[in-house]
Amino acid sequence: MKPETDFKTPSVAAEGIVKDFGTFTALKRVDLTIDQNEFFTLLGPSGCGKTTLLRLIAGFEAPTEGEIKLMGENIATLPPFKRSINTVFQNYALFPHMTVSENIGFGLKMLGKPRAEIAARVDEMLALVKLQDFAKRRTGQLSGGQQQRVALARALAPSPRVLLLDEPLSALDYKLRKEMQVELKRLQTETGITFIFVTHDQEEALTMSDRIAVMSAGEVLQVGDARAIYDRPANRFVADFIGEANFLEGRVESREGTQHRVALAGGTLAATGDVPVDPGAAVTVMIRPEHVQIVAEKTEGGLPALLERTVFLGTDTHYYLRMQDGAEFIAREQNRSATVTPFAPGANVHIMVDAQSTRLLRD
Amino acid sequence: MSVTKEHSERLRREDVRQRWLLSVPALITIILFAAGPLLVVLLFSFMERGDYGGVKFGQFSLEGWISVVFTKDIFDDSLILAEANLSIFWRSVKLALLTMIGALLVGFPTAYFIANRPASDRNLWLFLITIPFWTNLLVRTFAIMDLIRNTGHINRTLMSLGVIDEPIQMLFTDGAVLFGLVYVYLPLMVLPIYASLEKLDHRLVEAGYDLYANRFQVLRHVVLPGCKPGIIAGCILVFIPAIGAYVTPRVLGGGKNMMMGNFIEQQFGPARNWPLGSALSITLLIIVMVLLIAYVRQDAKKGDTDAQ
Repeated sequence: MKPETDFKTPSVAAEGIVKDFGTFTALKRVDLTIDQNEFFTLLGPSGCGKTTLLRLIAGFEAPTEGEIKLMGENIATLPPFKRSINTVFQNYALFPHMTVSENIGFGLKMLGKPRAEIAARVDEMLALVKLQDFAKRRTGQLSGGQQQRVALARALAPSPRVLLLDEPLSALDYKLRKEMQVELKRLQTETGITFIFVTHDQEEALTMSDRIAVMSAGEVLQVGDARAIYDRPANRFVADFIGEANFLEGRVESREGTQHRVALAGGTLAATGDVPVDPGAAVTVMIRPEHVQIVAEKTEGGLPALLERTVFLGTDTHYYLRMQDGAEFIAREQNRSATVTPFAPGANVHIMVDAQSTRLLRD
Repeated sequence: MSVTKEHSERLRREDVRQRWLLSVPALITIILFAAGPLLVVLLFSFMERGDYGGVKFGQFSLEGWISVVFTKDIFDDSLILAEANLSIFWRSVKLALLTMIGALLVGFPTAYFIANRPASDRNLWLFLITIPFWTNLLVRTFAIMDLIRNTGHINRTLMSLGVIDEPIQMLFTDGAVLFGLVYVYLPLMVLPIYASLEKLDHRLVEAGYDLYANRFQVLRHVVLPGCKPGIIAGCILVFIPAIGAYVTPRVLGGGKNMMMGNFIEQQFGPARNWPLGSALSITLLIIVMVLLIAYVRQDAKKGDTDAQ
């Protein structure tokens, strides 16, 4: 084992992980490094392989190919009870025949810790999740939110190196989910344990994570912090999955470094891409609805569009537009003043986007 | 106001009457097939024995009950403990408990094995478990006899292999009865345990592994407590018929290794002592009830301390 002071070794590293279930490939060569003390989120639609990856890290499944490293050591062949990794299960999986205290102390008991040490640690955990008054209750007598906190305390009690959370908030109602998001982030900061969080909820991912891995069909499409994923999506799937996005088809006219000029129906736009694309190539540009400004007259760098529908939402106004090539386009503007009247449907308008907000996508 | 009150009162009475009417079929079944026969047995146990079997109606006597545990000294007619009877009771309780334990030791791994098969295969395994039920109990018991008697297959094979010179006496021993009882009642243990194992949330097992419990610890701390209701049901289902077993001890135990079932049969048959037979039947019932109540009490007490 590496010394405790080594902060550079990744907490968890997946190297070339492939997982087949019979003829179905759940994970197609996944490479990921998760740093120590990081809140890392695996985000993707159901069936994308995120839970499979979590189960591989926990040790409930063995990878078909590849290595899983915990603090630099390959643990792919170790059974779950020999990994310093604990899981918060989706439906909590609390032991129904035990009290809250017994549930929380279970891991320590199995590790053969002395009774007094277990009792002290259980008290500490009960305080951490604010359940001191429920120590002697059976878990069946608790509400969903309380069960969730017991599950968290139980997984944290043995001080694992890594905590895995499998959609732990999906069974809670909206308000509780919001509270638990803050609570989880607090616990992660206080304990300094690496959290790997699985969710299909982009809002949850953006709220809590230090970094997010967006997955689809057994592949990791992009890894980055919330801003990177949202503002600079790697491809169309990521852009579409996280937040709202408009996609316009065009052709690269010219480029200067990563700045491209893209010819679209009715005009040209300056677009930014991470990799240079040669002139003449067919591309897609992605524009977030809130990055768009709508103007009445044609100006330099504007694209003509027909306003079909306006929806007034109090704080925002949504504009449903149709581009010259027939593509739908949504723009969202904040209502900064009560005196401004929104554009009327049927008007011919122009949309303006700055070059940094116009992303060039390769596919 | 009083009119509506009267009306609602009448409705209530009608409702009560209808409820009684609806439960009539159930009541008839209970009286006719459960409480009634039991009452007859109870009455018979308190009557004078008939000379050629049966009882003398209307002639009250405690003779039957006294003979359950006492026997008259042949010289001075004083009552002495009937050791033969007591040893039969003891053998019955002992063999029933051992049968229960044996069936549990064999049945739990079997149920666990089936519950861990792919869902599509489980029904086939369960089917295999229940197949022996289709064959007549007597036939199966004689088959065991054919296996273990002195000139049976096991002894003959061992002798021809030169492992033993003399046949091992297996038939007509308590061991033979125990083996037969375990074999006969095994499905009654496997099925309820399987049912509770199948319902056991597999994520609990994973949670156990996740929290550093090895395979044995998961079995001990997660699986066993999780299927406790099934284990208890299986134990009760095996113990009760085993203590009153008749065919198995008769065929495999011979005349010496009687159990209560055979003893009772003897009173209604060759011994022509119906009051004693009835009293013995009630005694058997009481033994089972006392053991069950003792278990329930103890379990409730344990549950209380658990919750504290």
